[in-house]
Amino acid sequence: MTNPYPFTMTTCGIVAGIMRNVTEGCVADAKTGVRLATRSDESDLRDLTSLAVQGDRTAIESLLGQLRPMVVRYCRARLGRVSGHYHIADDVAQEVCIAVLAALPRYRDMGRPFASFVFGIASHKVADALRSSVRSAVPTQDLPDGPDQGPGPEETVVRYIEAEHARALLSRLPDNQRELIILRVVSGLSAEETGNVLGMSPGAVRVAQHRALARLRQMADMESIA
Amino acid sequence: MTAVHPARSIRKRGPDADPDVLRTDALIDALAARRPVGDEHDDPAVRLLQALTADVDQRLSSVSITPST
Repeated sequence: MTNPYPFTMTTCGIVAGIMRNVTEGCVADAKTGVRLATRSDESDLRDLTSLAVQGDRTAIESLLGQLRPMVVRYCRARLGRVSGHYHIADDVAQEVCIAVLAALPRYRDMGRPFASFVFGIASHKVADALRSSVRSAVPTQDLPDGPDQGPGPEETVVRYIEAEHARALLSRLPDNQRELIILRVVSGLSAEETGNVLGMSPGAVRVAQHRALARLRQMADMESIA
Repeated sequence: MTAVHPARSIRKRGPDADPDVLRTDALIDALAARRPVGDEHDDPAVRLLQALTADVDQRLSSVSITPST
């Protein structure tokens, strides 16, 4: 059987070549946070997926370029920071994208959104990361060559504390409610896509997210009183 | 004309047609799109979720291309 792809899946350099383009795009998208950059029209994504499964290299790059910001956000929300950095979460997101890339030739459209396939993989990869001891290995960040254009130290600390508080409260929600809120809010999946990942109807997702948000609100209120 | 109790109407249409549920759905859509959420900024749950999304969206000075070994 001939390989329809112009490269071998196990050839890290070529995979990295595609991922490099994808990565550069996603960082800019992650900064702007525009929904159109995080979740494309479902029918467009389906067409793109169909071309990607057939080995169209441009479609593969475009598909991963659209999916990766959502995967990065999901992994960052689930795994959090280690020593103040998102290295581990970003590495896991990268592993998810490589796994999706490797699984593409075997993917068959069964009528479910492609995002549910991707986040099924992402969920397993995150669970593996949480179980493994790899989190103890923390790479150090390179020193910046120029002035840092990001938020200042005070804003960074405030944001970090609030984000950690959000994670702490989310961790107290039932597993399916926590996963649902992360997929809907952080990754930007629709109710239908989220339902496909979690095995729920869109209506059940809407009701569950309403309950989850109410619970989150209640916990935050109780903490502010205490 | 017969008045229909709102709760009965919701039972008939399903719980996801509850106005509160739909309002939460619109709020979550706004958070997911990183759009302003209007007068909901006093909601502590919304504020925390906004902090979390801002935190995970931030640009990194460098993003690894391959997984660490």
